[in-house]
Amino acid sequence: MSEKFGKIADGLLHGKIDEVAALTQELLDEGVDPDEVLQKGLFAGMDVVGKKFKNCEMFIPEVLRSAKAMHAAMDKLRPVLSEEGGSRAGTVVMATVQGDLHDIGKNLAGMMMEGAGFNIIDMGIDRKTEDIVDMVKEKKPQILGLSALLTTTMPKMGEVINALKEAGIRDQVKVIVGGAPVTDDFAREIGADAYAPNASIGTEKALELIKA
Amino acid sequence: MANDKTNCIVNRSPRFSFLSEDQKQTIFHGMLKVLQDTGANVHHEQARDIFKKHGCKVDGVRVYIPPNLVRQALQSVPLMTTIFDWEGNPRIYIEENRSYFGPGPTLVYFRDPWTLERRKCLRKDATTVARVCDALPNIGFVEGLVTISDVPRGTDDVFEFADMIQNTTTPIMAWSYHRGGARDLHRIGCIMAGGEEAFKKKPNYILYSEPISPLVSDFHAIDKLMYCAEHGIPQDYSPCAIGGGTVPATHAGQLVVALSESMVGVVLSQLINPGTCIILGGVQSILDMRRGIYSYGAPELNVLSGGLTEMARYCGLPMFGTAGCTDTKVMEIQSGIEATLQIHTSMLTGANFVHDCGYTESGKTGDIFQTVMDDEIISMARIIEEGIEVTEETLAVDVINSVGSGGHYLYEDHTMKWFRKHWRPTLMDRQSYEDWDKSGRKTMQDRIMEKTRDILENHEGPISRVPEEVKKDIQKVIDGAVERVEKEGL
Ligand code: B1M
Repeated sequence: MSEKFGKIADGLLHGKIDEVAALTQELLDEGVDPDEVLQKGLFAGMDVVGKKFKNCEMFIPEVLRSAKAMHAAMDKLRPVLSEEGGSRAGTVVMATVQGDLHDIGKNLAGMMMEGAGFNIIDMGIDRKTEDIVDMVKEKKPQILGLSALLTTTMPKMGEVINALKEAGIRDQVKVIVGGAPVTDDFAREIGADAYAPNASIGTEKALELIKA
Repeated sequence: MANDKTNCIVNRSPRFSFLSEDQKQTIFHGMLKVLQDTGANVHHEQARDIFKKHGCKVDGVRVYIPPNLVRQALQSVPLMTTIFDWEGNPRIYIEENRSYFGPGPTLVYFRDPWTLERRKCLRKDATTVARVCDALPNIGFVEGLVTISDVPRGTDDVFEFADMIQNTTTPIMAWSYHRGGARDLHRIGCIMAGGEEAFKKKPNYILYSEPISPLVSDFHAIDKLMYCAEHGIPQDYSPCAIGGGTVPATHAGQLVVALSESMVGVVLSQLINPGTCIILGGVQSILDMRRGIYSYGAPELNVLSGGLTEMARYCGLPMFGTAGCTDTKVMEIQSGIEATLQIHTSMLTGANFVHDCGYTESGKTGDIFQTVMDDEIISMARIIEEGIEVTEETLAVDVINSVGSGGHYLYEDHTMKWFRKHWRPTLMDRQSYEDWDKSGRKTMQDRIMEKTRDILENHEGPISRVPEEVKKDIQKVIDGAVERVEKEGL
């Protein structure tokens, strides 16, 4: 069994999407506890990926492939995870705020979070505050990720947070903000829960926030 | 002496090329196929109607452009356009083999030239950039390097242009958020030129808008393009394509996509107003797959910009290139290395407008010291570009015979005349060790800062020549912009 966990971890590291999904299914079929598959196989593998990326031993496209493999495995796991396991693999709604058409940074951040086990709902670019709030109401994500690359659209992030307050759901979701002109100070000013200067820190923050 | 040479090729300047004729044709065909088979999204109904009326298939927001229409557009683009300063002097000839360099637009931060702190951009910074560029002989056009934060939100495009155009006679490559801003800029351009008719004869700025890779023209970008075409405003429609991110990681693939995106604008501009001036190009670089940044110092930027310059020329269009920029955080050794390679390559390939001199931190911070360093690099690159002149006189056989073997050339009239052609540094150090030591052991950075601050303290600039009436009229446009944005929002 531990051999299979090792194989899953290794498959993730090498971005073997089908293989990781198949191994996950096999373990489930064998009756292994899904939480254990998540912890000992998938998270163990993605931990290595994360470290290697930080040490510049892996590149973004490789990490994204690993994330995709993780996603494929999570599709199998999610329905059978315990509540605790499931919450570690929570949902993140991602959006670039209204008036802003930049999307690569947000996409990267979303894909990396996917690699940490999150389920990502990507709303795309230029999303109205109301639509974002509606999506939060509907999908009840643990985390809302907002991206803005323009000084002119940054205030929209604050607007979203205020709208969440008005809708009475601010305390149900943690908000992470990112994008070129966004700063730690700005994030604090608008009452966001975290600021992510890059995609991997975004993932770290997301993991911290759901633990808190 | 009469020139009696026959059938002789004379190199006016060194030529350098990445692509063969066949390769260019292949890339060109790739672009035609993409536009025909995949098309591009155009988020503008009126624009789509124009495409449709001229035989393009339109499916939802997707527009498919047949090769013929591209060819037709390329036949109507102007062979040359001249940009004037607002005093009416010709300053930029947009035509083959002429290169002009300038800063880039809209950075998030500005490096304060006095405190050296990286901070939010202020209104006064746009004036700083304009005044410094006005004093730099090798800067051919100006962009603001800033996104001004201390004016009403969404009006900074108008404030920036209004301030800059009065503080430099070097033509401006301007930008705006929307058509409303573009209209205000145009009002200002016309006021400075002395009326709309005067502007038509002597356009004094260019407007820069961007399609979105891959293959999208958003509403405002295309709306501004249409406004420019309708009013005969020279314009630039060029993407920031991110190799491996928004376009293929291969250079040829990137060229195909970037070319296709600009071509959508070229075709539309020519359908609206055949003969209107349009420039393509943009920032062409790669996503750094370790750091997740869009690299402004990668050597690939040089290859891609050079390749696209050749493609632009192949299409008969002017090129908007990129150089003088860096990934490092302030003007320093790394930025010098990156900028030098970029400027030299741009010069050799002959891009028409080369922007982003003064971009640091991968397109996040404007550093006017970098622009001042770039000015010196540009002048050096121009000397290389001037190549070797071979005439009877430069050959100097007479002088060589008369000096003979041994001796020297220091007394010769020939030397007297020609040594003046040698490049003279304004920043590079050539002092003796002793002089350098005595004059304070200044580094290149010290000298650049000194020069910049000296310009800021002493360069007059043209602002005193702007008539009071003109200033008032411009203020009215600014007031109007503030009202417009208050009313309509951004
Ligand atoms: C929620 O969790 C998270 C977590 C982390 C998150 C996150 C969310 N979001 C981001 N992150 C973070 O993680 C990512 C990965 O590590 C990082 O994401 P980034 O997005 O920063 O990084 C990407 C991986 C790579 N970087 C990028 O993709 C952005 C690069 C630059 C050059 C850029 C590009 C490419 C574009 N642009 Co634009 N653009 C610029 C950018 C300059 C820069 N240095 O940022 C910037 C942001 N743009 C700018 C401008 C002005 C504009 N742009 C415009 C358009 C475009 C393009 C369409 C051409 C293109 C975008 C294409 C696309 N598909 O996204 C226009 C606006 C359009 C609009 N309404 O949005 C226009 C207004 C230009 C015009 N005159 O029309 C400047 C903003 C200045 C300001 N202060 O507001 C700018 C700094 C460039 C510049 N110097 O001029 C982190 O920020």
